[in-house]
Amino acid sequence: MNTDNDKAAQGQASPCEHCGIFTIGGDIPIQGSWRDITFTPVRDNIWSVSEGIYRSIFLRGREGVIAFDTLTTPGTARAYAAAVGRVYPDNPIHTIVYSHDHLDHTGYAADMAPDARIIAHDLCDKVVRARRSDGQLPATEVFSGERESFDIDGAYFELIYPGPTHGDGNIAVYLPQSRVLFMVDTVIPGVGYTFFPDWHLLPYVPVMKRLLSLDWDLFVPGHFWVTDRRGFIENLDYYDRMSDIAQQAVLDGLDPHDFAELTKYTNSNLKDEFGELFRFGEYCALNLSRYMQQFITGGWGIEGNWQADTTPF
Amino acid sequence: MQAINTGLFTSPGAVAYLKREPDMQVGQLAERIWTITDGVRRSIFLEGDTGIVAFDTFGTPGAARAYAGAMAKAVPGKAVNTIIYTHDHLDHAGFADDLAPGAEIIADEMCARVIRLRGASGQLVPTRTLSGEHHEMDVDGLRFTLLNPGPTHGTGNLSAWFPDAGLLFSSDTILPNARYGLMPDYHLCNFVRLMRGFLDFDWDVFVPGRFEVADRARFAKGCDFIEAVQEESQRAFAEFVPIWVLEAMQGYVGGKLAECFGDLDGFDEHIGLISLRIVHHYLMGGWGLEDTPEGGLVLADETA
Repeated sequence: MNTDNDKAAQGQASPCEHCGIFTIGGDIPIQGSWRDITFTPVRDNIWSVSEGIYRSIFLRGREGVIAFDTLTTPGTARAYAAAVGRVYPDNPIHTIVYSHDHLDHTGYAADMAPDARIIAHDLCDKVVRARRSDGQLPATEVFSGERESFDIDGAYFELIYPGPTHGDGNIAVYLPQSRVLFMVDTVIPGVGYTFFPDWHLLPYVPVMKRLLSLDWDLFVPGHFWVTDRRGFIENLDYYDRMSDIAQQAVLDGLDPHDFAELTKYTNSNLKDEFGELFRFGEYCALNLSRYMQQFITGGWGIEGNWQADTTPF
Repeated sequence: MQAINTGLFTSPGAVAYLKREPDMQVGQLAERIWTITDGVRRSIFLEGDTGIVAFDTFGTPGAARAYAGAMAKAVPGKAVNTIIYTHDHLDHAGFADDLAPGAEIIADEMCARVIRLRGASGQLVPTRTLSGEHHEMDVDGLRFTLLNPGPTHGTGNLSAWFPDAGLLFSSDTILPNARYGLMPDYHLCNFVRLMRGFLDFDWDVFVPGRFEVADRARFAKGCDFIEAVQEESQRAFAEFVPIWVLEAMQGYVGGKLAECFGDLDGFDEHIGLISLRIVHHYLMGGWGLEDTPEGGLVLADETA
């Protein structure tokens, strides 16, 4: 593993040129701040990058690099580009693929490689265009439907939209020759993130299970560490169990907005089963609150009520 | 499970919860306008020339039946001929089948699409849909205005304005307190701007979708509160507060806003959850087309 910490050379104090959807005036220090990026070989022409919490991949082509996502801020987008440049100094980033629409993953192509070709699913691109966020460039090439193959600069990969999961137009990247699957903000090691922001819970698990019909044994998530098929399946099992538990919590009269009581409930009822999972203490109560809303309000919007296609790929 | 409408519940243990009929409190707001609450959620109903116009159904079959019983006492001899869904959520509009299965059901077109897709047990599909922002209604001798200014909360959220009574009813948007929790299914991009638009209309009584009846000043303070949380959540993010930590957000945003908004009921218990939700808007960029400047609904074309 290598660490890119050549901050001075990369402009640690560079100003924030792009401000996302911030509406407050004045300085926004987090946007421009430099973040160390680690870069790790995965398999074949696949590399993974991370600043400690967020993770993505990039592929080496014959002439340049295909980068997935842009990381979290203008500063980290620049650091991501610098990390790629240290691994392949003679291969510029000529293509960016957006995993989904969220700014913390795909918000700053303008800072990473402003002239790159950008590929996204059309559901993602619709939101990106409507959002008009400062620094998030619209796609130059969109695809629709469930599956599209790409052979770019000698690098082969498939983009797969299995249905609504998290965010909009969220695609898995399938690299069959290396038996690797990359997908962002879906399966993440441990319990779910906070209150499952923008997760579409009704279709989520059946849609994600479709990806098990593909031949892969290594899964790269959008956060934290790489896992395998077993880790992927166990993570989805947690969601199924949480759904059952949330239903019971509603029937038990728990208030989904009473965080103190939610925490007591999870510590009393779930610690034996899930207490060893990463971030149980931080987020299990918030996970429960969100899942309870699924039964109280119904799913949210069309995506949250989508009747999942469960056909294998 | 027994033959009972179950919403999305699948557990056999849900029957007792679904059947329980809460005590309903009814109050008259104007000559033909009543408000009703189960202690948390709130709605209104109207006495028409020949029947009752009920807004929403409450959130279980038992609550829907209790709602029907309370209306029958307040307006004896008249049946519920019309139900108006404020929005798609089951806890407000989930059980028309238990309230008045033969009634005409009016809802926004997008609300109807979500309900149709959801297929929840007991939530009847609207029989008449409205599209657009402004609808002058004339139902059974009652005149009022239904307004959908754009994405606020849930899908196709309709507010009702009664100019003669000087009254606005808006469900699960602005609350008369700070008890928003994680702000489920709120669309923050345009929320405060759209809600402030209701202040362009002439009314002084505000009926929210939960908690107590309020007035114009408390509605305006509710808009100010959400806007202030949006600003301070951005500052927390900008200044490296660990925005994924509830306690950190509670401390930062709660500390900044306690002086101006600490008097709102539920402030201390909810400010952390509210700010945690809102700061993710700025981290992620909003959720779906509903949360963009233009509004809209992802996959709407596929469900037309």
